[in-house]
Amino acid sequence: MKSARYLFGAVRAKSMEYYTWLLFIGIYLATGLFVPTLFIPATFLNVLVQGTTVGLLSIGMAFVMLVGEIDLSVVAVASFAPMAGILAWEIGLPVPAAILLTLLVGVGVGLFNGLLITKLRIPSLVQTCAMWWMLAGIVLVATRGMAKAGLPNSWMQLGRVFIGPIPLLVFFFIIVVSAAVIFARRTVTGRRLYLVGGNSEACSAMGIPVDRIRIIAFMTSGLFSALAGYALSARMGFVSARFAVEWLMPAIAAPVIAGLSLTGGRGNLINVVAGAYLVQLIVIVVRAGGVSGYSYEFVQGLLVFIAILVDTVRRRVTGL
Amino acid sequence: MRCNFCEDYQDRGPNMKKAGPILQVTGLSKNFGTLRALSNISFELAGGKILGLVGDNGAGRSTLLRILSGGLQPSGGQIYLEGKATRFKSPADAMKKGIAITYQFSQLVDIAKVWENFFMGRELTKRIGPLAFLDVQKMKHLAAGAIAKYGHTFDVEREARELSGGQRRLLAISRAIQANPKIFLMDEPTHGLSKRVINEIFDLLRKTKEASDTSIIITAQWYEQVCDFVDEVIVLRRGEVVGHFDAESADGGQVFKLAMGLTP
Ligand SMILES: Nc1ncnc2c1ncn2[C@@H]1O[C@H](COP(=O)(O)OP(=O)(O)OP(=O)(O)O)[C@@H](O)[C@H]1O
Ligand SMILES: [Mg+2]
Repeated sequence: MKSARYLFGAVRAKSMEYYTWLLFIGIYLATGLFVPTLFIPATFLNVLVQGTTVGLLSIGMAFVMLVGEIDLSVVAVASFAPMAGILAWEIGLPVPAAILLTLLVGVGVGLFNGLLITKLRIPSLVQTCAMWWMLAGIVLVATRGMAKAGLPNSWMQLGRVFIGPIPLLVFFFIIVVSAAVIFARRTVTGRRLYLVGGNSEACSAMGIPVDRIRIIAFMTSGLFSALAGYALSARMGFVSARFAVEWLMPAIAAPVIAGLSLTGGRGNLINVVAGAYLVQLIVIVVRAGGVSGYSYEFVQGLLVFIAILVDTVRRRVTGL
Repeated sequence: MRCNFCEDYQDRGPNMKKAGPILQVTGLSKNFGTLRALSNISFELAGGKILGLVGDNGAGRSTLLRILSGGLQPSGGQIYLEGKATRFKSPADAMKKGIAITYQFSQLVDIAKVWENFFMGRELTKRIGPLAFLDVQKMKHLAAGAIAKYGHTFDVEREARELSGGQRRLLAISRAIQANPKIFLMDEPTHGLSKRVINEIFDLLRKTKEASDTSIIITAQWYEQVCDFVDEVIVLRRGEVVGHFDAESADGGQVFKLAMGLTP
């Protein structure tokens, strides 16, 4: 009898731990009743593929949220980094090197953000906002405001190749996100992100290099923004100054829905993926539901707001 | 009031390995703006000895320990570690040089688990190929074992914020001992602990000290809190050393008067 109760308790605790996934699956099934196309495999795959952009951006955002910071520059990096890669390709860099450059640019922007935030103590909100503005401006100048198409074929393979019925991008996403989850949960630096977010003073008193951990969080965010930008450009076949801009708010909302505390130190990255897909689902459903262009943004925002509200109430009630 | 409980580790002459003191402080001072928190502090700490630091509120005990553990930089004076002039650039640097400290206010991450707090800053890893991953099972196991030594078990899976004040202190002390330091600094460890737990900690510290020749500096508000435990005591008042005694010659009443400035 007692063991049964333990088992029940354990199952409940585990399912609460992955609550965001339950919420996503539940809402998917529920909206499927009204938008039956959701149950067609092609639509499902489409959701999976489209969700990778906000998924990668949210994972990056989650890393800086773990240390109690924020990174508003993610969407700018997502267009600036692949733009840099493509420009380098145009002047003769081979595609694999250009892709590597794209990722390095993302990491470099993160490093720069992190250094200014830790060493000069500029609030991350201010620093990354300035960075966002600046990078978006640079891309505008470089493209004269136009979308840059004509990307090399090998660059676009990530967005075009299928393995069986499943797009390569989905596998890529799973691998990259798994690496992030393992990094956060199973490595010394990853755990220290949580500790620094929980109490940075105690961390430095115990000899943890707090600034370095914070900088690593921003570098990871930069890397994932660059990955998001690269994947998006591979899928769309172009880069432009504004092509990821609409994903900034979702990238902030997704970790919050997933239960990451904005003050840092808490949260499960696996849930962030669910949070991202939930936001993506809302966007797709609103579009499919034929909401007009003008109220589209409002309805989206409203639904995200409701999701966050539901999550807050849940945490109040369950104390988790 | 006198304490005569200390003979067993007073008389360890033949065992003394190193001739020089492990720690030597000369003319140490610390200013906070115009406030002089420490001035001209000098003392020596021999290997395997326990030094008490007694003083009134604001006497400068915490400031001294934080300088010795890299959390603050001195305004003047010198620190010698095993005879070599040393500067502790940061807490991490001091830890590397064999210093461990428990702070007056336990430095814990409230929303992290007990075992995570126990191993923060020196996490255990196991290698898988070229990569190092946290050895969570081992850390949980060792943390539970270390805490159990005080006859006071609590679940290492709990978050630190769920612990009582005394349990928090025990956690902070046991993790510092586990680091196996050369010099162990303890800022008012007896505060908020029951007599039983204090005795258990002192017993364990004595054993650790015998085994590994650890030197200890311990602060207290009153001499009586640590008289059973220390070899020597330094009395601080307004940032200055106003008394320095052997445990044999120290007298609680006199230490109190010095600490309060009641003697001419
Ligand atoms: N960071 C700081 N900035 C300014 N003044 C400080 C700082 N830390 C300590 N002081 C001052 O230095 C003096 C010594 O403080 P300290 O904390 O070392 O005293 P203490 O002996 O540990 O006393 P307590 O019993 O209150 O712990 C006090 O006057 C205090 O106000
Ligand atoms: Mg103090």
